Amino acid sequence: MIKFEQVSKTYPGGHKALEKVSFELANGELAFLTGHSGAGKSTLLKLVSVMERPSAGHVYINGVDLNTVTNRQVPFVRRDIGIIFQNHRLLERYSVFDNVALPLVIEGTHHKQITKRVHAALDKVGLLDKLRCHPSVLSGGEQQRVGIARAIVNSPPLLLADEPTGNLDPELSMEILNLFEEFNHHGTSVLIATHDLGLIARMKYRSFTLNQGRMLQDPLAENLL
Amino acid sequence: MSLLFKGRGNQIEQDKKSIFHHFYFFCLMIIRQGVQSLGEMWRTPMASLMTILVLGLSLTLPATLYVVVKNVQQVSSGFKEASEISLFVKEEMSEAQTQTLVKRLALYPEIEKVVLVSKNQALEEFKTMSGFGQALNYLDENPLPDVVLVTPVSRYRKPQAAAELLSKLEKEREVDFGKLDIEWLERLNALLGLLKESVITVGFLLLSAVILIIGNTIRLSIMDKKEEIQVLKLVGATNAFIQAPFLWTGVWYGIVGGLVAFICVALMLWWLESAVSAVVGVYQSSFVLQGLVGNELLVLLGTAVTLGFIGSFLSVQRYIKEIEPDKV
Repeated sequence: MIKFEQVSKTYPGGHKALEKVSFELANGELAFLTGHSGAGKSTLLKLVSVMERPSAGHVYINGVDLNTVTNRQVPFVRRDIGIIFQNHRLLERYSVFDNVALPLVIEGTHHKQITKRVHAALDKVGLLDKLRCHPSVLSGGEQQRVGIARAIVNSPPLLLADEPTGNLDPELSMEILNLFEEFNHHGTSVLIATHDLGLIARMKYRSFTLNQGRMLQDPLAENLL
Repeated sequence: MSLLFKGRGNQIEQDKKSIFHHFYFFCLMIIRQGVQSLGEMWRTPMASLMTILVLGLSLTLPATLYVVVKNVQQVSSGFKEASEISLFVKEEMSEAQTQTLVKRLALYPEIEKVVLVSKNQALEEFKTMSGFGQALNYLDENPLPDVVLVTPVSRYRKPQAAAELLSKLEKEREVDFGKLDIEWLERLNALLGLLKESVITVGFLLLSAVILIIGNTIRLSIMDKKEEIQVLKLVGATNAFIQAPFLWTGVWYGIVGGLVAFICVALMLWWLESAVSAVVGVYQSSFVLQGLVGNELLVLLGTAVTLGFIGSFLSVQRYIKEIEPDKV
């Protein structure tokens, strides 16, 4: 699903965020991306969602080299990726419904379809009763789940999550992770960046570890490959 | 349409069966965004009102100048074709001699029409027109000369040709002197030309100001919605989708600003009307103050909308590209 080939990213000013990173996330796989703050997790996710371009190397999604994607095509790449942020990035001015509907609205989906899909997405994250609320009245966990609903509303084949449990207590974190597992069971590939090692230890998934911009070899991955 | 995953999104596209449907949804989206941006302006009335008033006043000035030019033109057009030559007959001429002159003049190929205004006729006319009726009764004799009004054929109505004709007519034995009221008309025309030029210059400056005002307002509104634009970009909105509401806002500003300008001009004319009619009364003319009529209102609105669009387009092009999700 995602394949990195000798990818390096150097920011203007000389900071090397990633150095010759290579890894592959299989189709339909759920995996973690770990490392200390500043190890390059965010940069890696930004390269996948084409918020940044690699300085060297190639990033492939589903076999398509993202270097060949023009700036005008970037929005269409992002429509295939559901992205979940630590600070959830919801729009305060809009209701929960409108927030979740956003990816569908920009695709010009018919409003009947929009209603149906938004309801389905909110139902999955268990927030159907908060449809008309504004994000500011929701708790942190609920806001995060609205963010997840927005990411999955157009059923993207790939989900990226950047510290999705960062501000949540262990119980809520587990709930969120269970949601990701559920999507994964339906065939969605999921890549979760987190520094919550306790969380990873409890689940039997591969994890890619970044250290100062380099990918450490993952023993479990060795076994699998 | 999916770039990375062939065949994905088919279930979404199934309900858009034809190009017609696609077009229909496209139009629907544009209209929806238009209505939304109008609602947006409604929600922040103070900020919108200030901008609209500034726009309205900026548009009022050129519109007013235009109305002035139009009305002056209306006055001067009354005189343009009336290039008439007045010939004052020498006092010592008898009535018969004057009649001969009239007959002789009528035979000129350059002359279309000859009208004799006798002393008595002129006096009567003067009495009724000037309001000096009573005073004139005290005169012992009529101080006015006979006047022959000569209308040249159209070829001789141009200033140059009319002047030539005048000097020829002045050589007639009976004629004391002639008068061609064309010089003041030339001056008026020159002044009118100057006025028109200044309207265009001032108008150009003010219309540029309109573009800048709208551009700046839209820029502020883009900065204000930075967060929202970033999120929209993250979920895969195209630049066109993000730009549309801002372009609409510019268009709405144009429409409302244009209407404000129209109302200002109408109010100003209403205010001036009584003063103008007093002046007109003195001159006994049938002048009617003209405002902006249907077509001109459309031109005013069209200009305002175009300027609004240009202003917002420039801002949108410049600033929306700059906002990228990673630069948090």
